[in-house]
Amino acid sequence: MITHLEQMIEAAKAKARKRIVVACANDNHSIEAVHHAMELGIVDATLVGDEATIVKVCKDLNIQPEKFRIVQESDEQKAAHKAVELIVKGEGDILMKGLVTTDKYMRAILNKDAGLLPPKAILSHVTVIENPNYEKLLIVGDVAIIPVPDLDQKIAITNYLIQTAHRLGNEKPKVAIIAATEQMLPNMPTCVDAAIISKMGERGQIKGALIEGPLALDTAIDKESAAIKKLKSEVAGDADCLLFPNIETGNVFYKFNTKLAKGELGAIVIGAKCPAVLSSRGDSALTKTYSIALAALSTD
Amino acid sequence: MITNFTQLVDKLNTAAPQTIAVVAAEDHATMGAIVRAIRTGFAKAILIGNKTRTESLLAHLELPPETFLIVHLPDEQMAMKEALSLIHQGKADILMKGLIGTDIFLKAVLDKTSGLMKQGEVMTYVAALQIPSYHKLLFISDTAVIPYPNLEQKIAMLKYAVEMARRFGISKPKVALIGASEKVGNQSQTAIDASIICKMAQRGQLGEVIVDGPLDIFLATQPESLNIKRIITPIGGEADILIFPSLESCNAFYKGLVRFAGAELAGLLQGTRKPVVLMSRSESENSKFYCLALACLMANNNNLSYE
Repeated sequence: MITHLEQMIEAAKAKARKRIVVACANDNHSIEAVHHAMELGIVDATLVGDEATIVKVCKDLNIQPEKFRIVQESDEQKAAHKAVELIVKGEGDILMKGLVTTDKYMRAILNKDAGLLPPKAILSHVTVIENPNYEKLLIVGDVAIIPVPDLDQKIAITNYLIQTAHRLGNEKPKVAIIAATEQMLPNMPTCVDAAIISKMGERGQIKGALIEGPLALDTAIDKESAAIKKLKSEVAGDADCLLFPNIETGNVFYKFNTKLAKGELGAIVIGAKCPAVLSSRGDSALTKTYSIALAALSTD
Repeated sequence: MITNFTQLVDKLNTAAPQTIAVVAAEDHATMGAIVRAIRTGFAKAILIGNKTRTESLLAHLELPPETFLIVHLPDEQMAMKEALSLIHQGKADILMKGLIGTDIFLKAVLDKTSGLMKQGEVMTYVAALQIPSYHKLLFISDTAVIPYPNLEQKIAMLKYAVEMARRFGISKPKVALIGASEKVGNQSQTAIDASIICKMAQRGQLGEVIVDGPLDIFLATQPESLNIKRIITPIGGEADILIFPSLESCNAFYKGLVRFAGAELAGLLQGTRKPVVLMSRSESENSKFYCLALACLMANNNNLSYE
């Protein structure tokens, strides 16, 4: 079982190289990150974007452009569509966002005619966080895509968290459904959804995990708090996965971890036919590498 | 622990008799059950209504005079008022409906000033069911009052059923929330409510009780079916209490068992300060008698011990 992000890189290296396709790879951040992952032996890369710019950035970074397959497309949106098209045609295993706005990148993924998104699929964002104060990784969602997930979306997110935990070698992850309280308050929709999802876990309708909620964050990740509240649950205080009730809660949680608690992370978008890396320019180089490694581990 | 109605009657004979106030007592079926309860020794009665007719029903029965009192109030409204007044004064422990319309009777029970409902309580119905093929009594709700209980009403039904089961010596009752299937989904309010109630129980919000649901009748009452469906549930196929999602399902369940499986039923209105007996005419003589026994058990303030 992987308990540190660094181990994701080792695990990804041990697998066959995956093919990553970067949409609009016209910037030094993405090229550097992809190159680093290539050097580590995790991926081979196709860069879709403005060829002249890509070559220039490579030279500035002292990277040989010949190492990449470059596909010429100067227009941002078209480059995103092109990258998706290459994946659908079987020429790539992982999609990655370069210098293209998140809107345009997501539009390319969500485009029904392109065929990257299976019918009725729910697209969501899974983040793997390492915090020096927690003994193992925390797999959380959704911090970036679905603003206020409904029950079906929460079930999909739960399955993605579980699936990611399995990919990281955790066969029976403990999933905590986060609310403001561990009391079952029927007038709080978060608590109601939590009760339903944990019952689905009990009934084996959601498989491969122990699911418990509602849990307040402290009772989910702190054994002492769980003991004080006398929660009879294997999940309480020892969660591997956190399902957040909305994007604000999730977003604050992960940013707090990275900015105030010296945490690191890797993240991918799940739900399409391939994992997609949605790194932002604010991410550290390490985060990008971890995200690529996570994507590589998330595809066969 | 009491596991059948014979034991219930035996248990009651160890305690002081309770006094039943009967409204419009001049009814053959009602009187049959009352007389049997008096003769068995666990009840006394104040028979309010038409004195002449009541006396004629009691003629030649030779009941001990200290076991009953006849009050002549032939007007049913007046009789009802007197019965409620006796309850409020502590002169009677149980209210029972005789030959008076159910509407009038219930309206009076529900009256905010002179009625018997406790503030904030829910009027519902819990019945104990004795089924020859089940090893203990099964408490069920709601057989008679709430057509489609909402979450709050289901929680109240559960609470009353648990209180009743405790009186039978079941300290930590197993409650199954009945559905057509054990599966949970978005579409079924039964499953959603069941999930919520289970979680409340897990969090200790419902006291000393074991709750699971949705479960179908098989999973709730038949241990073998757990293996077939591979369901793990703390009920273990041995439920003490079944909470139904609708009046129709609960009503059909007990009537089916009475008709085809020799079951006997004893039930009481819930949410009231004192037990209220409201029997259906179609119930058997035995069921009517057991109903009075149940009311006396619930009315007995000195909880009978079960060492």
